[in-house]
Amino acid sequence: MADVDILMPSEAGSSSSSLSRKQHLMNTFESYRSELDTDNERRERLIITSRSITQLSKKLIFHLHRNATSLSPSLKEKCLKEGRGKEREIWKLFNKIRDELDSIGNGGDSEAKEAYWRWNRQVSPGLEEYIEGLSFLYYLEHKSLVPLEEVQRTLSDENGQSLVVVTPEDYILGMSDLTGELMRYATNALSTGDHNTPLEVCDFVRTVKSHFDGIPPHMLYKLSKKQEETTRSLEKIERVCYALRLRLIEFADKPEVLAMMAKRALEDAAEKDERGKDE
Amino acid sequence: MSSRAQTVTETLSSVIELLENDQNLKKQIRESIEPIDDLSRTAITELNKLHSAPFSQHNEICQNSIDIISKTQSLWQDVAKLIPENEFYRYQFALGPTMRNLTTSIVLARFILYDDLTSAHTISKILGLKNDSTEVLQLSSEDYLQGVIGAVNELPRLSINAVTSQNFELPIKISSFVNDIFASYSLLNLRNDALRRKFDSLKYDLKKCEDVVYDLTLRGLTKPRE
Repeated sequence: MADVDILMPSEAGSSSSSLSRKQHLMNTFESYRSELDTDNERRERLIITSRSITQLSKKLIFHLHRNATSLSPSLKEKCLKEGRGKEREIWKLFNKIRDELDSIGNGGDSEAKEAYWRWNRQVSPGLEEYIEGLSFLYYLEHKSLVPLEEVQRTLSDENGQSLVVVTPEDYILGMSDLTGELMRYATNALSTGDHNTPLEVCDFVRTVKSHFDGIPPHMLYKLSKKQEETTRSLEKIERVCYALRLRLIEFADKPEVLAMMAKRALEDAAEKDERGKDE
Repeated sequence: MSSRAQTVTETLSSVIELLENDQNLKKQIRESIEPIDDLSRTAITELNKLHSAPFSQHNEICQNSIDIISKTQSLWQDVAKLIPENEFYRYQFALGPTMRNLTTSIVLARFILYDDLTSAHTISKILGLKNDSTEVLQLSSEDYLQGVIGAVNELPRLSINAVTSQNFELPIKISSFVNDIFASYSLLNLRNDALRRKFDSLKYDLKKCEDVVYDLTLRGLTKPRE
């Protein structure tokens, strides 16, 4: 901003009073033009990187869905390993964002930090998708919720410097999206005859939802909308678990029958959900 | 409760606490802006008198409004105290509208006083944003450029009302100023955003101001400026 602070004639000394007001304004606005142009170019670059992050994060999530329900431990391990590889690819893009922001000003840490907040809106869509992907990966690896500090640590460079700042808001919205992925994961697991996963996921999603229910809507408006989606996901999982439990009692000794039954319960739940929307 | 659910509970509780802290700070910042908005409105009320007061009082009205705005200096210090270092842009959504409105009032008042466009630098000084204690705050180019157009938006009305009260010089002064501003903004490569929409309004303002001058010229009410 400082570089365009050319004084207007009435404010400047006598030396410049020979220039007309119009000339002065033109000079000033030429500086504004170059400033706005630089900003616009930077904005474009950040949006492009952020979009790539979104796309790669979606691919990571699809990859996990495709292979994580595999019953063979070695295949599952391979899937998670590949997932980590994909996560590191995205991490490189966050490095690119940091480099972009570092180039502003004279490259000091405080300038980069200020720049981060200035351009946060361009970066955050990709960040949100990444957090969703990372938390899903983490859940599959640890069967647990990735802590905020862990997300921040993953998004740091080799020296422990943050690449971007992860706010509680980013984190909570990401975890809300995670519940949807877990619902899909649970239902996929069911079709391969994995009975534990749906019960575990159900328990987990329920805990997350009940915590988020405690956040007043005015505090995080976006979350209150996402909570509706989470509620639907949870109901679906609960219905599946209900059917699963009954069948488990009935057909404990016939796994192939169980898988069939579970699949039908799943389709049933999906149908009910459709009807629920129509009403 | 299983030990896993326990961990999840702890993780989420601590994050929600952090979220609450963030939101409380936002609330505090919004509240700290309120007394500034009050003064800003008082300044606008003062400037509204320009449309009805005799020309001889214009300078006094404008000086009064600048004096009122200068009173925000200490209040900006209170705002600055709340904002963590380097996080100005995180809270700009709460500060920007106020800064734009103040820019509008200052630009309008100082146009009447000095027949010139006030620079962003001068506005920052009037608001006291250039001190050590307010370093974290800044008048962004975006807010400045939008605020200036806000002042121009006021000028067609002022031009018309000047004619009603038989002040035939002000419309010419206004028209020439709006012309210069329009030419300046035309230099910018604007993208489709709020500033672009504001810029589009300039064209209509310019036409309205020129129409008034045309009406005066037609009736021989303009005399060449010295």
